[in-house]
Amino acid sequence: MNPFWSMSTNAGRKRTDGEEQGGPGEQKASPVRPSFGKKQLPTIPKNAVPVTKPSSPASATQATNGTHASYGPFYLEYSLLAEFTLVIKQKLPGIYVQPSYRSALMWFGVIFIRHGLYQDGVFKFTVYIPDNYPDGECPRVVFDIPVFHPLVDPVSGELDVRRAFNKWRRNHNHIWQVLMYARTVFYKINTMEPLNPEAAVLYDKDVQLFKSKVVDSVKLCNSHLFDQPKIDDPYAISFSPWNPAVHEEAKEKMFTHKRRPEDQPKGLQVSGLSWVKPGSTQPFSKEEYPLQT
Amino acid sequence: MSWLSRITPRGTGGRTDRNAAPSSPCTADPETCLMVFENHWRQVSWVLEQRDSGAGGADDLTAVRNHTDQMLCLLAEERPAGGDSDPPAMGPILQLVSSENILERLVQWHIRRGLDPDSQMALLKLFEMLIGQSHQPLLQHTSVLQPLLMLLGACVDPQFGCPSNLEASLVLLLNQVCVSMARQPAVLELLFRCGAVQQGPTNLLIFSLLVPFIHRDGVLGQQARDALLLVMATSASNHAVGRYITENSYFCPVLATGLSALYSSLPRKIEVRGDDWHALRREDWMGVPSLVLFMNSLEFCNAVVQITHPLVRCQLLDYLHNGFLVPVMGPALHKSSVDEMIASTAYLDLFLRSITEKSLLKTFLRFILLHRHDNDTILDTLLTRISSNSRLCMVSLSLFKTLLSFNCEDLMLQLVLRYLLPCTHVMLSQRRAVRETDLYGKSADKFLSLIPECCRITTAPSGEREEEPAFWGKVLGSPTSESPVHPRPSTPSRLALFIRQQSSGGAGNPSPSSGLDNTPSSPRSSVPSPNSPMHQQPDASDAESGYLEYLRDARRGIELCSWACRNWSAPYDGENPSPNAAPSPPPPPTSNPSLSMVPEHFSMQQRGGLTDAAQQRAAVVAAARAEWSSSERNSGEWDVTITKNCISLTPRSKKRSLLPSSIPMQPSSLPSSTTVPLLGTEEPTGSHTAPHRALYNGTGQVDERVDSSDGGMEVKKVKRDADVTDGDSSMNGRVGTGSIESSLTLQGGYRDFHTASTTVKKPAPSQVQSNMLPQPQPQRSPPILQPSSQECNPSEGQRSTSTSAPSTADTTLTTCSTHGLESVESLIEELLEQTPSEPQPGDSNGQGISIEAFHQELRELEEQVKARKVHTRSFDEFSQDPLTASPGANRADEECPPLEPEQGGAGESKTDGMFSPARPLGQPLAQPYIGPFMTVLFSKLESMMQNSLYVNILLTGIVFQLACYPQPLLRSFLLNTNMVFQPSVKSLIQVLGTVKNRIEAFAAVHEDFPSMLRKARRFLAARGKLDWADSPTAVPPLRRSDSLVKSRKPSLGDLILRHTNSPTRARHAAQAALAHVRDGGQSLHSALFRGVVAGTGASGLEKQAEALRVKNTVYCAVIFSEFLKELAALAQEHAVAMPFPPSQGTEE
Repeated sequence: MNPFWSMSTNAGRKRTDGEEQGGPGEQKASPVRPSFGKKQLPTIPKNAVPVTKPSSPASATQATNGTHASYGPFYLEYSLLAEFTLVIKQKLPGIYVQPSYRSALMWFGVIFIRHGLYQDGVFKFTVYIPDNYPDGECPRVVFDIPVFHPLVDPVSGELDVRRAFNKWRRNHNHIWQVLMYARTVFYKINTMEPLNPEAAVLYDKDVQLFKSKVVDSVKLCNSHLFDQPKIDDPYAISFSPWNPAVHEEAKEKMFTHKRRPEDQPKGLQVSGLSWVKPGSTQPFSKEEYPLQT
Repeated sequence: MSWLSRITPRGTGGRTDRNAAPSSPCTADPETCLMVFENHWRQVSWVLEQRDSGAGGADDLTAVRNHTDQMLCLLAEERPAGGDSDPPAMGPILQLVSSENILERLVQWHIRRGLDPDSQMALLKLFEMLIGQSHQPLLQHTSVLQPLLMLLGACVDPQFGCPSNLEASLVLLLNQVCVSMARQPAVLELLFRCGAVQQGPTNLLIFSLLVPFIHRDGVLGQQARDALLLVMATSASNHAVGRYITENSYFCPVLATGLSALYSSLPRKIEVRGDDWHALRREDWMGVPSLVLFMNSLEFCNAVVQITHPLVRCQLLDYLHNGFLVPVMGPALHKSSVDEMIASTAYLDLFLRSITEKSLLKTFLRFILLHRHDNDTILDTLLTRISSNSRLCMVSLSLFKTLLSFNCEDLMLQLVLRYLLPCTHVMLSQRRAVRETDLYGKSADKFLSLIPECCRITTAPSGEREEEPAFWGKVLGSPTSESPVHPRPSTPSRLALFIRQQSSGGAGNPSPSSGLDNTPSSPRSSVPSPNSPMHQQPDASDAESGYLEYLRDARRGIELCSWACRNWSAPYDGENPSPNAAPSPPPPPTSNPSLSMVPEHFSMQQRGGLTDAAQQRAAVVAAARAEWSSSERNSGEWDVTITKNCISLTPRSKKRSLLPSSIPMQPSSLPSSTTVPLLGTEEPTGSHTAPHRALYNGTGQVDERVDSSDGGMEVKKVKRDADVTDGDSSMNGRVGTGSIESSLTLQGGYRDFHTASTTVKKPAPSQVQSNMLPQPQPQRSPPILQPSSQECNPSEGQRSTSTSAPSTADTTLTTCSTHGLESVESLIEELLEQTPSEPQPGDSNGQGISIEAFHQELRELEEQVKARKVHTRSFDEFSQDPLTASPGANRADEECPPLEPEQGGAGESKTDGMFSPARPLGQPLAQPYIGPFMTVLFSKLESMMQNSLYVNILLTGIVFQLACYPQPLLRSFLLNTNMVFQPSVKSLIQVLGTVKNRIEAFAAVHEDFPSMLRKARRFLAARGKLDWADSPTAVPPLRRSDSLVKSRKPSLGDLILRHTNSPTRARHAAQAALAHVRDGGQSLHSALFRGVVAGTGASGLEKQAEALRVKNTVYCAVIFSEFLKELAALAQEHAVAMPFPPSQGTEE
């Protein structure tokens, strides 16, 4: 595993230099924080490459926390829960994750590829988060079945994530970015410093053959879709053939479900009032009826 | 086909029974009934015809009545004739009644004959019986409706209404009519049209007749309101009726102005004994008839608004605003007497809690937010009350708690958000951080780290505890002690937290829920928990482990709040609305809203001239004494205040906070109270004044509570009966001596504490200096001050004359005192001396001035001085680099009296410049200002140690509520401990840091602190359990306050709301007050000598005073620690909270 990491470290830097919209220098100039509220996402975390000097907001943040630099499991779990919340808020297309029942540090996931070379691929994977998160290495992503891909280890199924996050920086790097990255590699093929040299060579030299190998790989993965989850966990993601008795109802629920607060008091008093006209900051700017004062 | 032919099919069965009520079997057969009816009618009609021809007497009347009774009974019992028609065909008797127009002829006969009340009553009852019991719909037949309307018209004089003896029958009849109308909406139309024909175009008679009974109490009023509601409901979609009601009836004005009338009969003073009382519960007002009456009518308004036609709703809301809120509620809230303020605030709170209709609530909120009374919005006025003394503060806090519970954007905008919108409170570079959440628990960690070391004690070994709490407890106790390499969390149970996320996020399939049931974090586990987890915890160590409960509480709070806010117009995240587009919020008030009360308070003086002024003062004094009695042992509290003020100026960093350099604050501020009339006019009061208010802050109340439940810390209330029984004259005589004594002892008390703090804290040299500094201040002479008072508006000027007494007292004081406390004392003295021997029951009605009014005045005097100080300080802070400055020392310098002579010479506005000559004038206004609400909450928080337990519980509850709001601007302001604010903006964490240091300093000098802390926890836990066991259901969402309220088992209905007009009572109050002044003096006196004359034996009073102080602090320590956990939990939960999408407008 070690050579694997060291290898990807170098590769990662080069690769991102070449492929991302900007080099590290540029990113330094505009460090991007995850913007929770925005719908549009950067295709790949721009801040993936470590910046030697943290940008000012971050430095202030970190400085004040100096005395309590270590986090107990207590904070760890909430941090992971917060990460998970961020993932949900990002609404990543075609990606679904679920933390395991046994450990918050292990997340099960599945990714649906909807177009491109890997179209129709359904790849299950597991995210392993280092237990010294967020101060450790970046999370690992391991596909259940090694997908034929230059950046996926043909034996272990591990995706080369490190090249995109060669140093994990809390506050800047988030797990949703890793997932985003895991999706992107299937749309933008990168053959530099591959974990699967065969795939890389084929992609560069004989795309047709590469394509057919990919198709085979996708078929293989999909044929194992209904297998028992590799890891035995109550929350592991498992597929089963469509069973109307079970799935129709679940589907219906998914479409109709409206989340409401838990234990919302019955007969709650009027609340959540607003008479502010959008765009205004004046109270009662949204007039409903005339009131002569 | 005749009715006879239709009656025969009776034998065929079934059809005739179709509409039969199963409970009343029809015994007689219809044919027989008809024959009997006809028989009666023949005899009656004979009489009617006779009468028509002129004759007739009492016998006729009796005969007609008897026959009519029989006839109508038969009619009522008749079943519809069956058939498939809808409405069902008339029964034979009804047909006969219609065709012969029997009822109309009967009524006309009566009317022509002259309706005596007896007949009226009989007829009303008869019709009521008929309509109420009839088995077939009657009112849709004009042959029934017309005579009914005729009768009603005859019974009610258009001018004088209905004779009182008929009221009950009339209302009952109308109620019945409305009930059947509600069943057959067509009747409404008919009524409307018939009415128009009969009564002219303007009368929906049924309706008009009911209106006068809207506000009646008892069954009658209820029936009338029910009936009206039925009309409203039936006519909700009938535009014509809607128009009729708004244009041709007095319904809305009667309803609204009726509320005004009812309000004016409410008790002006709410008398409660419970030290924790702060809001009217149902049990409280059910025993107060006038309040019940009002609430019934308010409920009725609410119901009308809910169901009525939009036209009516609009008109009613309009009238409520302009006919009740503005002319009645507004002035009521601005009453000069504190008692009345308390009452009106509590009423408003109650009203707001009772309203359920959105548009009605909007009317109230609009009034509160926008209506200006004497230039201040109601909201501003209410805000200033938070900083007042105990009861008014608590009632006000309760009101704001209610307001916050609405999650109303408009309110939050005015209260907080508009001040945060421009983002000027954060450093420019920090603006992006506004939206960050506490991803890694750093803020939570920071909050938890502020739990004072002395509060981390645990009583029991944690061996027996389950793994889970122990784990949490451990982590909480020492977040830093964890090794850098963390074991992977081994307990899957807590991961149940994820479940909620999964179900909402659309990620993944439904998860097995096995093994979740017993997890502490499972959201749905077990029984509903009490509102505040800390109540559950029996002892200290358990309290430590209650963190999971806090997390759950926090999550619940955040979820409910963000759900409620999902339809707000903007996210308030620092970008939308744009900080640049945001209108700059109002600057700190230049005129003190609370001051506006004072001129009003003394308005009599204005009118009455000097002699009256003297009387007024006397009244104030009497009131003041009463206040003393009500908040017993205030004097014991004074040195506490000083203590607190010493530290109140503590700078941000922990190291500095213990510097006693802040001590000069107190001395300098108090003496300057004499200068108030001129100085205070320009500065905000709400801010930074709380420390002084703590002087009066619910201290005596602690006694009561402790008396009842905590033997260990018990302090007996000592009523000086001997003193009280003294005659008035003797009492008056004592005033002089007593007050001198008290001033001396106060001085001593202060000094005593001062030395104590010195020894403990190893003060910096500056403290010594500060001790001396205040001296020059009192020497400011009144003449210098006068000019500036002319700058004030007339009322201010008036007030300044009214308070001129203190300044003269001041001069005498300067000779003998070295610090400022005396000035307040002297003010009291002065006032006492001018008291006539017979204490005045108060002003003209005995209510204008209350005990608390006097405090109010004192407080304002101090406030103004304080405000000036704040001014100074903000300059100070503004100029300093936050990292290098030593605010404590700096302030000590800046606030030291040498500056003040200058100030005295110049007007307030000019002195601004003098305080900080380097800066241009007006700069302070440009400083970021977080608004009066936050300011007053923070200053109240800062003085937590002096607040009573109940104030603290309410206060922290409100901050918790605020911190639940998901809007990033507010969330980051309160919970992001990493944000860097502008130097002049105090952060919550700074405030809490100050409190922490104070508590630790206190604990350091009290060896028995740990045991006291345990006792306090045990008491709170026991009390919490009691509260909870009381009634777990039907708790309005008032969070903690409820448990407090609930703990007062006996209903207050009989205790509260008694007028205090009785001169005897006023006198007693005054006597008691005086006794307390003396007591206080004595206790302070002994306190003075405690250090000097060691071992002379501390008096009981001294112990009491000390115990009080200690108690407040110990309870504060408990609350404070729990509060920090709450905040930490909130910070964490915000990071994992999922927003709710706005509703699609379906559910509004």
